[in-house]
Amino acid sequence: MTQRADEPSDEQLMTNLDGAGVEVALSKLYDRYNRTVFGVGLRIIGDRSMAEELVQEVFLKVWRSSSTFDSSRGSFSTWLYRVTRSCALDLYRKRAHRIRQVSNGELHMAAERDSSAGPQEVLDDSGLSWRVSRALEMLDEPHREVTDLAYFGGLIQREISERTDVPLGTVKSRTANALKKLRAELALGDTLQEAIR
Amino acid sequence: MKCAEVHPNLAAFALGGLEPEGATEIQRHLDSCSDCQSELKEHRKVNRALEAAPPPTPPPAYLREEVLSRVRAEQPSPSNREEAEESSVEAHRISQRTSRFNRFKDLRIILPSVAAAAVVAVIAVGVFFGFLREETPVATIQLIPTPHEASGLKGYWGVAEIRPQPSGNQQVELKLNNFEKPKTNSYYEMWFVSGDKRISAGSFTSVGRGETRVLLNVSPEASTYHTLLITEEHVGKHPAPSEEVALKGEVP
Repeated sequence: MTQRADEPSDEQLMTNLDGAGVEVALSKLYDRYNRTVFGVGLRIIGDRSMAEELVQEVFLKVWRSSSTFDSSRGSFSTWLYRVTRSCALDLYRKRAHRIRQVSNGELHMAAERDSSAGPQEVLDDSGLSWRVSRALEMLDEPHREVTDLAYFGGLIQREISERTDVPLGTVKSRTANALKKLRAELALGDTLQEAIR
Repeated sequence: MKCAEVHPNLAAFALGGLEPEGATEIQRHLDSCSDCQSELKEHRKVNRALEAAPPPTPPPAYLREEVLSRVRAEQPSPSNREEAEESSVEAHRISQRTSRFNRFKDLRIILPSVAAAAVVAVIAVGVFFGFLREETPVATIQLIPTPHEASGLKGYWGVAEIRPQPSGNQQVELKLNNFEKPKTNSYYEMWFVSGDKRISAGSFTSVGRGETRVLLNVSPEASTYHTLLITEEHVGKHPAPSEEVALKGEVP
């Protein structure tokens, strides 16, 4: 979700979590970050219902631990990533426990992902995942749409044009602009260097 | 082809988004143009970074209100906030488990080791949210396989019981019998449908044979949506709901 210039920054919203404006502030932070927390959580944990649980845990922790956030030590996004990572690791361990129980016939639900990748390995990858997700969230809706359809939906440009009812030339220019914007956004944090290592 | 014609197509080319004939022409030009090769290299770096991106699937819409209603419920008075914080974290963790039927056994294992004070807090929070109450459902819906699914029927069926919650959300208790495991990289999702509008009640997997019981939550608006669907969704695919309906039911 892109943020308008006249809207309060994440850091300003964090200072409102202790007063009467808590719901408005937390709602805005939720709207800005819920997809990233959910998506990165899904990559780490590999289980949708637990990723949903993670979203709740993380945003409650944002509210409960808002006093521990210090904007002079880093951005809200970096702090939130650490909160997400920590909560995800807790849930990951809980899930590993649950998988063992399934094998004993104790539970009805099964986890979707095996435990072949260790938590450290998965978590190491999560920082890059977080930054790419944030870069995607910075795109405005038309650019985000073509990127989602092209990259995640696997559609070719003509199919995107047909699906969105947007001229083919516009789809192509939006795709090119989206990649350019992503390149600029990711270059800021040396994410591209990390991605191609 | 000239650079001016190739340039607008390079991003799509990097994403594999051109028709085969167009891609061949671009490739032919690239073989002899170092400027366009450099540009393509930059696009490919972004493409590589995108591999790390999480799937563009938002969490179910009801989660937002769920978070806010829990903040409302947990907001202590300023004087006892600090004291309440630690016990509420633990209480919340355990009430989360009680909110899902498939975690009742977890709870049974954990409860004996939890301190008495935390148990009191658990019961208080649990009762507040209605999780520990055995309420009579306001609707019981038979979920039956669609004709397509019925052709390969292996004796599965389902029932959904709906109970309103104090937060305004509706709790859906699904009881599924012999529900097949989803395909690799897939999961099931439950929807409330009205016309062409859908509200997700959440997602789950199943173990196949025997009975699977799942507790889901859906936002208050779903009370006016009278068709229930269970679809099979694919991780990482386009965010629109899948058309692969496994079970369907109507709220009486």
